Amino acid sequence: MGIKKTRTAGLIATAAVGALALAGCSAPANSNGSTSGAGKTITVYVGANTQYAQAQQQWFKDVSAAFEKQTGAKVAFETYASGNDELTKIQTSVVSNQGPDIYDLGTTFTPTAYSTGAFVKLTAADWKAIGGKSKFIPSTLGISGPDANDQVGIPFASRPFVMAYNTDLLTKAGISAPATTWDGLAAQAKKLTGNGVYGMAVAYKDNYDPWKYIWAMDSQSGNPLVNGKTATIDDATTLKAYQTYFGWLTQDHVVDPASVGWSNNQALAAFASGKAAFFPMTTATSIHTLDSSAVKGKYKYALMPTVPPGATSLPSGGKPVASILSGDNLVVAQYSKTQDLDFKLIKLLTDDAQQKIQYTEFGNLPVNASTASALESSSPALKPIVDASAASYATPFTGAWGDIELGLVNVVVQSIPKLAGGSVSDSSLKSLLAAAQKTAQSSLNRAK
Amino acid sequence: MSGGGVPGGTRGRRSVTERDRPLWMLLPGGVLMVIIIIVPIAIGLVISVLDLDQYTLRQWLSAPFLGLGNYVEALTQSPLLRSFWISISFAVISTAVTVPIGVAAAIATQNKFRGRALVRSVFLIPYVLPSFVVATVWRTMFQPGGIIVNGLHAIGISSGLWLNGPQSYWTLVIVEIWASWPFIYLLALSGLQSVDHEVHEASALDGALWWKKLRYVIFPYLRGPLSLACIIAVLSHINNFTLPFVLFGVPAPDDVQTLPFLTYITSFQSFRFGLSAAMAFMSLILVAIPVFVYLRAVKLDTDEGGRK
Repeated sequence: MGIKKTRTAGLIATAAVGALALAGCSAPANSNGSTSGAGKTITVYVGANTQYAQAQQQWFKDVSAAFEKQTGAKVAFETYASGNDELTKIQTSVVSNQGPDIYDLGTTFTPTAYSTGAFVKLTAADWKAIGGKSKFIPSTLGISGPDANDQVGIPFASRPFVMAYNTDLLTKAGISAPATTWDGLAAQAKKLTGNGVYGMAVAYKDNYDPWKYIWAMDSQSGNPLVNGKTATIDDATTLKAYQTYFGWLTQDHVVDPASVGWSNNQALAAFASGKAAFFPMTTATSIHTLDSSAVKGKYKYALMPTVPPGATSLPSGGKPVASILSGDNLVVAQYSKTQDLDFKLIKLLTDDAQQKIQYTEFGNLPVNASTASALESSSPALKPIVDASAASYATPFTGAWGDIELGLVNVVVQSIPKLAGGSVSDSSLKSLLAAAQKTAQSSLNRAK
Repeated sequence: MSGGGVPGGTRGRRSVTERDRPLWMLLPGGVLMVIIIIVPIAIGLVISVLDLDQYTLRQWLSAPFLGLGNYVEALTQSPLLRSFWISISFAVISTAVTVPIGVAAAIATQNKFRGRALVRSVFLIPYVLPSFVVATVWRTMFQPGGIIVNGLHAIGISSGLWLNGPQSYWTLVIVEIWASWPFIYLLALSGLQSVDHEVHEASALDGALWWKKLRYVIFPYLRGPLSLACIIAVLSHINNFTLPFVLFGVPAPDDVQTLPFLTYITSFQSFRFGLSAAMAFMSLILVAIPVFVYLRAVKLDTDEGGRK
C-alpha cells in the first residue's frame, strides 16, 4: 500500500469526481515536514469577502507578514466565491489528500466537514498550542464537534443573527421597545403597517433565512428538529412555526407581498429605505449598508424574540434561542504536513490583536472572550449583538444537517406560489413537512 | 480519413493495403480516448454501485458495495423519473420552437441588404453571452416587481410568479429559447450557403413562387444541417445545468428540477455520490438514444458511406 498507492487512488478519484462536473483543483505544494517555518508556506482557504474586498486583500498581506516575522513561514490565502466552491475544494482535497492546510468553514457546515473524518481532531496539546480553550467565549465552541472531546473546529469569527428595527417608526407608533415574543412582534408589526410602510421585512425567497426562523421557533418550543437519530420535522411545533412564518404575509399582512421574491439583501434594502419597521434576520455586517442609507442613525439592533409563537413565556424544555450559532470555524486538514505551523497561525488569528481587526475591518464579532468584553464596554451600541452571540445555540451536530436545512428551505420554496396567492393550506404544508421529514430521516439513518 | 489507400489500385491490391494499414498510428488518439473518456466512465460506473457519501469519501475505494441499490433507489425513491420527463419535454419544446425561428432568421438574412452584417451580428448576441449572464439578467427581469412583471401589469396582465411554482417551467423554456435559437440560425445559414446559385436561377426561370421555391428547392438543402442542429440542440438542452441553477438557485421549485440539476443536488448538497453517479448513468443512456437515432439516420457509423 503506502502513500504512493493512496495518491494514485486519490488522483483517479479526483478525475472521477471531476467527471461528475467538478472543477479541477490545483493543489498547492507544501514543503516537507520539519518544524522551522523558514521557506514554508501555509495555505488557508477562506471565503472571499465581497463587501470588504480590498480590506481583505490587505489583511491577507498583513497576516502573512506578521506570521513570517514570528515563524519565518508565509501564509498564502486562497478564496472561494461561494459555498459550492468551498464544498468542491473540500471534496477534492479529501479524496486526493492534498490541498489547503487550513479551511475557514461556516459554523453550520462544520458537522458535515467533521463527518468526512478529514480534519484534525483537536487534542489537549493542540488546544494548548492555540492558546487554550478558555480564551474563547464558551458558546462559540458549541459547534466545534459532537462533544467536548471530539472537536475539529476552532472558533474564528462570530456573526450572530439579530433583529434591526427602525427607532423613528417605533417611536411614532408609541412602541417603546421591540417585543420579545413572536406573537408580540406580530402585534407590533400590525400596528406599524400602513402608509407605505410594512411592519416587517422578511426574505421568503432567500436560500438560507427560512430554516433559521423555523429552527429557532422550533427550538424555543423544545424541538431542535433532531433527537439523537430521529428527525422531528413532522412535529406540531414545526407546523406552527411555518404557519407563523407564512402568516405574517397571509394572515397578519405585515410584510410586503413582493417579499415572496426577496433574498436577504432585498429585505435589507427595504429596511434600509425606511419601508419596514423590523428586519428580524440580519447580522452586524449590515451596519455598513445601513449607515450609508436612509435609516442612518434611526435604527438599532435587538435580540430576535426568544419565546415561541403561541406562547407568552418560554415553555418547559424550550431554549431561549436568539440566533443560530453563526460565524466561522477554522479546521486543520489531516493531510497537512505543517500542522505545528498551522496551529501557530490559528493562535495568531484568534489572539486579541487579530480578533480586533476582524471587527474593525469586517464587522465580525470576536470569539476571543477578552476581546469581546473589551469591545462591549467600549461600544455599548454593540451590546445586543454581543448578547445575541452569547444567546446563540448550536444547530444539531450531525452530518445530515445539510439535508435537513435544504428540506426546511424546500418547504418554503415549494409553498411560494400559494404564499403569493394569499394562503398556504395546512394540508399542503403537512404534505411538504412529511416529505422533508422523510428526507431528513433517511439522511439521519445513513449518518455514521 | 484516407486510410493510406493507394489510388487506382485493383481490388486485390486494395485488400492487401487494408491489411497493412498502419493502425498503430491510431494509438495516441486511442490512448487519449481511454484516459479522457473510458476511464472516467468506468470509474463513474464503479462509484454508481458504491455507497459513496460524505462518510466514506475519504476511503472511497472501500465504500460498501451496493450492487444495483443506487439505481433502484434513484428510480423508486428519488424524483428521477419526474426529472426525466421535465428534461425531455423541456428539450423537445425548446428545440421545436427554436427551429422555425432560426430558419426564418437565416432566410431573412440570406439576401444582401444594407446593414445585413450588423443584423447577423446582433442575431448572435444571445448565443455568445455566457449562460450565467443570461440567467442572471433574466432572473432579475422575472422577479416580482421586475421589468417583465411590471410591464405585463401595465398592459393589464397579471402574470403571477415566474420564478416559483408551475410557471417556472415556462420561464426556463422561454429563456432557453431566447439563448439557443441563434444556434439553429447558424446551422440553417450554413445550409443556405450551400445552395448553388444556379438552383436559384433555375427555379426563377421556371417561375416558381416563393413558397414553392422554399418548399421544394431550398428546404431539401437544409435537411442535413437542420437534423444535425436538432440533435445537438436537444442534447445541449438536456445537459444545460447553468441556466436552471442560476435562474432558480438551490433548492429549486420542483417544476424545474432537470436531470443535471437533480444530479448536482444529490452529489453536492446531499453528498450522495454513489446515488448521483447512478442518476448520471441513467441520464447518459437517455442522451445516447437521440445520438444513436441520428447516427443511424445519417449512417456515419457505416463503412465509407455505404460505397460497396
